[in-house]
Amino acid sequence: MFGLLARSIESLYQVTRGLKTVFQHSFRQPITKEYPDRMPDLPGAFRGRLSLTVNPNTGEHLCISCLQCERVCPDKCIQITSHKSPETNKPELIEFKIDHGLCMFCGLCTEVCPTTCIINTNDFEMADYTRESLVYDLKKLTLTQEESAFYFSKKELPLPKPKPAKPAAAAAPAAAKAEKPGQPAVKPADTAKEDKPKEGEGKE
Amino acid sequence: MTVSTSTSNKTQSYGVQSTGPANIVEIFKFMRLTIIWLSIIFGAVWGACWLFGVVLPACVEGFGLPAEISQTIRYFVPLVAIMVFIPINAMFMVLFERRALALFTVRKGPNRVGPDGLLQTAADAVKLLLKEDITPRGADAFMFTLAPIIFFAPSIFGCIPLLAAATGDHRLFSIANLPTGIFYVLAASSIPVVALVMAGWASNNKYSLVGGLRAAAQAISYEIPLVLSLVTICLLAGSLDVVEIAQQQVGGFLHWNILGAGKLLAVSQASPITFVTAPLLAICCILLFWLYMTGACAEINRIPFDLPEAESELVSGYNTEYSGIKFAIFFLAEFTNLFVVSAIATVMFLGGGESPIPGFLDTGFFVSVMGTLNSLLQPVPALQWLLNSLVDPATLSCVFWAVTKIYLIVFFAILIRGTLPRFRIDQLMDFSWKRLIPLVLILFLAVAYLRELV
Amino acid sequence: MAVNVGNDQLKTDEMIINMGPQHPATHGVLRLLLTLDGEMVRNVEPVIGHLHRAQEWQGQNRTWFQYQALIDRVDYLSGMFTSWALARAAEHIEGIKISPRAEYLRVMVSEMNRITSHLLWLGTYLIDLGAMFGFPFYPFREREKLLDLLEAVAGQRMMFNYIRIGGVQCNPPLGWFDKLKRFTEEFPDRVDEYEAIVTENPIFLKRTKGIGRLSKSVAMDYGVTGPTLRASGVNLDLRRTKPYSVYDQLKFEVPVLEGDGDTWARYTCRIREMRESNKIIKQCIEKIPGGTTEEIRKLGDEANKDENLKLMAKKQNSGLRVKAGEGFAAVESPRGTLGCYIISNGSDKAYRFKWRNPSFSNLSVLPELLVGHPIADIMAIFGSIDVILPDVDR
Repeated sequence: MFGLLARSIESLYQVTRGLKTVFQHSFRQPITKEYPDRMPDLPGAFRGRLSLTVNPNTGEHLCISCLQCERVCPDKCIQITSHKSPETNKPELIEFKIDHGLCMFCGLCTEVCPTTCIINTNDFEMADYTRESLVYDLKKLTLTQEESAFYFSKKELPLPKPKPAKPAAAAAPAAAKAEKPGQPAVKPADTAKEDKPKEGEGKE
Repeated sequence: MTVSTSTSNKTQSYGVQSTGPANIVEIFKFMRLTIIWLSIIFGAVWGACWLFGVVLPACVEGFGLPAEISQTIRYFVPLVAIMVFIPINAMFMVLFERRALALFTVRKGPNRVGPDGLLQTAADAVKLLLKEDITPRGADAFMFTLAPIIFFAPSIFGCIPLLAAATGDHRLFSIANLPTGIFYVLAASSIPVVALVMAGWASNNKYSLVGGLRAAAQAISYEIPLVLSLVTICLLAGSLDVVEIAQQQVGGFLHWNILGAGKLLAVSQASPITFVTAPLLAICCILLFWLYMTGACAEINRIPFDLPEAESELVSGYNTEYSGIKFAIFFLAEFTNLFVVSAIATVMFLGGGESPIPGFLDTGFFVSVMGTLNSLLQPVPALQWLLNSLVDPATLSCVFWAVTKIYLIVFFAILIRGTLPRFRIDQLMDFSWKRLIPLVLILFLAVAYLRELV
Repeated sequence: MAVNVGNDQLKTDEMIINMGPQHPATHGVLRLLLTLDGEMVRNVEPVIGHLHRAQEWQGQNRTWFQYQALIDRVDYLSGMFTSWALARAAEHIEGIKISPRAEYLRVMVSEMNRITSHLLWLGTYLIDLGAMFGFPFYPFREREKLLDLLEAVAGQRMMFNYIRIGGVQCNPPLGWFDKLKRFTEEFPDRVDEYEAIVTENPIFLKRTKGIGRLSKSVAMDYGVTGPTLRASGVNLDLRRTKPYSVYDQLKFEVPVLEGDGDTWARYTCRIREMRESNKIIKQCIEKIPGGTTEEIRKLGDEANKDENLKLMAKKQNSGLRVKAGEGFAAVESPRGTLGCYIISNGSDKAYRFKWRNPSFSNLSVLPELLVGHPIADIMAIFGSIDVILPDVDR
């Protein structure tokens, strides 16, 4: 009888302790991430949508059509079309397609890319209505000069050296990139503000 | 396709602990939401009652029709009040619960629909009403439809006598009062379990069936401590009339039944034994209150006694197969039941509509406020008439305190819901038959003796 | 059901219920074929295989480099450990020595991953027990912080692909060590809070004490490992009994509970393990060669030359190969002993993979535990052995 009483009091005390702890939580700051209102500040290493960079300084496309990424992709979601340029006898990029519906964002293609052309951006909002629209073509994949500069600094990648001459070769993709609509440019001011104190050591 | 990083000034950094000041903003929002919703609810109910209790009868008499007709219209006031009150109130309670749980779990809770998520549950209700109403194949369609209705109906007519107690026996509501009010309420509140068994059986689903049977077993077991604890309070009060029980507790929280109905004040040197008996009686009454709340939680299937709809075991129990408007009715009734049991607790234990401290926001305060308003409206007699016909300060103070107490109990129930895990069915039965029922019988005897000794 | 009034017996039938694969509480797609007598379980038959993805076969058909990125998916709550087991097995064949800094980083991220896994278990376990609305958010809050940190170092929250054959992928970003340190300082307080709410709660005790007893001998017969085994009183933790990596240089306790081996013991064991993991992380932050990333940056080129600080001993590209040979390595994952057996023929693909997954053996003991318990205990017991279904089915 006495043991029962003691146990009951002990139980009541423990329940009260739990209630108190839960109640105290109502005085703490909420940890909700208000995602659509406030974008998450993702680290530089984040593996999001795949994109192709251009040289931040000169604006020429960095892809050299070496097909490394196409070969390494475990999902076979990259498709590169290129041909040998009749003038220089070097491969020249015609079309670059990535099926983001297949992609599993492992980031292997970015690791093997010799020119750090293909990168994982910090964008993750790629929901779309059809599977076909998840297949991104060269035009959709290529970043603007400002965006490339932003990611080069955020991921702390070494800046590429400009290609030796031949402005004609770079003209085609550069033109395609120039008429790209709807890509909100990264403001230079923001870029400067962000890259200084930020993390994101990319790869070594 | 946007570059998400470009919005640099509006980002949340990773891995950073939020060590800000205390969460005043969210608490303030929570309070504001509560006050706004309660004003809406009671404004609506008050307006409907005023319409049926004052305006319509006045019009009828103005047309020269016999007084019986206006009197008949007045009889409808309690019913109208309940009908207006229950759906809006259930909507608010869902939101209240969600916001309170959000506070406990360091979240923000629903805040998208309307300002601060004010209209979230209204939107939910619309969604539920527009959903397809599915009757599963092999189900007993008639019973399947009848179950939510039977579940919901008692909570409507069950709380009518409580209206009289919560409004301080206002003349429009005193007809709803019964001499045996509390037993009427208890009888009504034990009907819904039939509906749960019906729902479980008619769904043609094994999980539902187990849920329904569990509900029956649980309701039968927990009705006993619940009723016995209220019987003990009736014994202490010497009445079954809820209005009378509420009015006996006038005069501050020491007069409340939870503290022994004012017996603590009767302690005197003349009879030294009262120094022992009066505190004992108060302890007994607190235990009775705890017993009542335990039984009530089990009756309305709330955590830690939500076994009939235990998600991890029975998917969703008796309402697994329900959707659309039928599910909405189940949902509505569950929250209304919570309100009703809190109201019973308020009336029986916490002094109904009485201010806990005499002189603090009590009737006198509301009367003086009314006087001030009257003097302000002196130049506009029409408005003055409107105010005086609309507001009765005594009722206002009574409703104010009753609602405050009820929602404090609801808040506590939500806190419990946020903390405790669930019993197992056999432990639940053990707890009722081996612990609660002996305890309540002991308390019954103890109170019966102690009230004579004090 | 026929009721024979007049006869003394009330004739009843057993009821067969399919619990899962669509049941809200089976943690994935386990199907339990239950034979119930009233509410009592008379027989249980777990049906697995709904999530079979041929992980071993996939490994044999993909290059080493590609397969590294895939195996995080085997046990999605502790991806670091599957990577680690693979890496250790391959390194065993190759005979590579990993630099101390890489080993410390491996230990740190793995212990962080262990904590996240246990925290998720804690939250979902309380949901299984019915505390559905309040408590589960607290462990998930801490888990979120750790996942953010893991995301910063590995790039994704669960599919890390961070531990590679020959080392680790990269140094953590700037400021990472400070954030982690802050986390380790406040984490014990948070665990105290969990314990204040749960551990001594009378309802929780009633639901877990003496429920689902797993005796030492049965546990060993079935090959149960991990906290489930240690709760039954067997001291088997690979980090201690067969120290790998740098665990022999770190001070930590292995919680072993003598006694019933009931669900409460398993709960306690995991809670203590979280505290120990936290201690390990703390020590690693102090002991790691080269210090924080900021200090490494200051060293500049020297860091790349220093053998102690080199992160990767093998080139990571599509030509990644492992010498011909066979090797086995096991690590102590949050769920138990996770083993990886490889036969390599020297090409860019492995000849044979074999995974020893802890969840599979832990699940096999379930019928022993469940029979004779009421239906409500199914989830209390099943949750307590902490099984991840993709890990069972592979």
